[in-house]
Amino acid sequence: MTLAILIGLLVVAFAGYDPVQFLRNVAIGAFGDANALARTLKFTTLFILTGVAVAIAFRAGVFNIGVQGQFVVGGFATVIAILQFAPFLPTGTTGGVLLMVLGTVAGIIGGGAYGALPGILKAYGDANEIVTTIMLNFIATGAVGYLVDGPFRGEGNRAPNTARIPEYVSLPRVVFDVPDFSVVGLAVTLLVVVAIAWVMARTRFGYDMVTSGHQIAAATFSGVNAERTIVATMTLSGMVAGVAGALFAIMIQGYYSDPAGIGTYGFDAIAVSLLAANNPLGVVPAGFLFGGLDSAGSHIRINSDVPVQLIDGIIGLVVLFVAVPELFRMAAERTGLGGEN
Amino acid sequence: MDLDDRGTRLRLGAAVATVVLVVAAALALGWPLADIVTVGFIERTLQAATPIALASLGGLYAEKSGVFNIGLEGFMIFGAANTGALVWLLGGESPTQADLWVAMGLAVALSVAYTALFAVLLIRYKANQIVAGLAVWFIGLGFGPFTAVLVWGNRNSPGLVSMADVTVPGLAELPVVGPVLFDTSPLVLLTIFVAIGAWVFLYRTRYGYWLQAAGENPEALDTAGVSVNRVRYAAVIFSGAMAGLAGAVLLAHSGSFTGTGQTMVNGRGWIGIVAYLFGNYNPLGAAAAALLFGGLDMLQIQFQTVGIQVPNRLVNLFPYAAVVVVLTVWSSTRMPSALGEPYESED
Repeated sequence: MTLAILIGLLVVAFAGYDPVQFLRNVAIGAFGDANALARTLKFTTLFILTGVAVAIAFRAGVFNIGVQGQFVVGGFATVIAILQFAPFLPTGTTGGVLLMVLGTVAGIIGGGAYGALPGILKAYGDANEIVTTIMLNFIATGAVGYLVDGPFRGEGNRAPNTARIPEYVSLPRVVFDVPDFSVVGLAVTLLVVVAIAWVMARTRFGYDMVTSGHQIAAATFSGVNAERTIVATMTLSGMVAGVAGALFAIMIQGYYSDPAGIGTYGFDAIAVSLLAANNPLGVVPAGFLFGGLDSAGSHIRINSDVPVQLIDGIIGLVVLFVAVPELFRMAAERTGLGGEN
Repeated sequence: MDLDDRGTRLRLGAAVATVVLVVAAALALGWPLADIVTVGFIERTLQAATPIALASLGGLYAEKSGVFNIGLEGFMIFGAANTGALVWLLGGESPTQADLWVAMGLAVALSVAYTALFAVLLIRYKANQIVAGLAVWFIGLGFGPFTAVLVWGNRNSPGLVSMADVTVPGLAELPVVGPVLFDTSPLVLLTIFVAIGAWVFLYRTRYGYWLQAAGENPEALDTAGVSVNRVRYAAVIFSGAMAGLAGAVLLAHSGSFTGTGQTMVNGRGWIGIVAYLFGNYNPLGAAAAALLFGGLDMLQIQFQTVGIQVPNRLVNLFPYAAVVVVLTVWSSTRMPSALGEPYESED
């Protein structure tokens, strides 16, 4: 991690910018004031949820690279469900809460189904899930992009967006008075994390999942149905991605736009999860770190001339170094520093 | 493993049957097929297939040697971004064909350097091949557009220069074959030579057998006195060079760099992986599969010209959908048995 940031700073200096100023901008952008903190927490909630979605799958030895697609499908399903049901429910707080619950359920179903598909293809068709999920990401982006542009474009919208969900379908503004982050969203996120951590550590299903990730032969021997576990893992992973999509749709956007233009939370989530050693609880601090980096990115885009893509590159370097624990072990032996990385 | 191998034959038969079915369905629906499959379409298909085929051949060699290079997509992004930047540095606003060739060469050299580092992480430091490969993709997605912003102040480059067609006198006059092969981008011919060369090298030379042994039975290769890791280094570096060339070719055909979204590479590296799986690890099969995906990619223009009303956005998804179907229906390829396992010599 430190090494990746150092390389990033070197690149900043090499490209002719001031690295100290860059670091200061990162800090101000992530935690400078209440607005910056709210922005950081907003990104954090998305990174935690998508990170947990990735962690579930990776823990079980299934490489779900398709969290982005599941996130998009889930979010789109949420908006469509809310728009469809809104005319039949009372307006005001009660209706708002009901619609949010309905929308989130739709998001969970959408994300879960879109995750189950590559799971089924892997379990029963032997299709490599890395490649299918990446292809399904492209398909989700293209198909939803087509739908918001054509059939589901809001009336009179000049931009390719769906109609807005009603004003009363929104999370309450507590602590932070900003339109696109609510502490309630963060609370829901943490609840999901605890629930998933509990399922994985304390239930039979979680045990089967994790053992088949580590020791497929042992798991099969002890009576685990490998195919069904793969499908269940992918479905659960997609469901959590669907929650992230729902939260994005309700809390942040309030409508759905062309997914080619929204953040790549589902990709960065892979880095979040790997950084947390695929542990659902570890995803919380890792997600916070990424939330801070992304928030700093938005600040830097406005207040500095360093290209913001640099941050994506640094995230890639972090993942690369996570992949090579051996490198650090050898480096540690060589320098005589134990466990330092 | 040869063309007369049963699995390959079965696969080819199935592919031919699919094409026949699709053609029959199109005729039944009354689509003007003769207007869709034109000489121009075949030429465009070959051009679109070129980068996919090159990346695929590289990935195939790495995987044959026992290393899964999942970073093809990332190396392609670097290849495209570096070629674009170098063309700009060499030729400024109006680069020449010579600038383009030099830039492509330098970009491939850079790719070799990157992959050498990557190979050290994979082979010497036993990095997790899947995670490290994904990391290369992320790094490409970040630093590719970053390079573009540094060079042009924008994630997309202005129009640079695209590869001029080369006309072979005489041969270009032949019907169909002439315009498709002898009056087109020289990179198409280059790719055909690389594909045939890769096949000959793999199945007809001693080094090719070493490569296969490194993936199938590294102990035997070691016993025979050949360094397994040296073979693997060579294969991985070759795969990076090919992916870099694929990115360079992509840029040379389009004539400018696009760094928005998933960049101009847009999944072609991943499709390259599927192409060699579909081709059952046979270089010629991989090239044929690349042709299929290239054709699907270019279908959109044909649909527009004959006036079939399918939204562009959806037609663009055909190659991705085809990949999912192909992987599910024909995925029973036998991977090299030592794939993904680091090899440590006993002595």
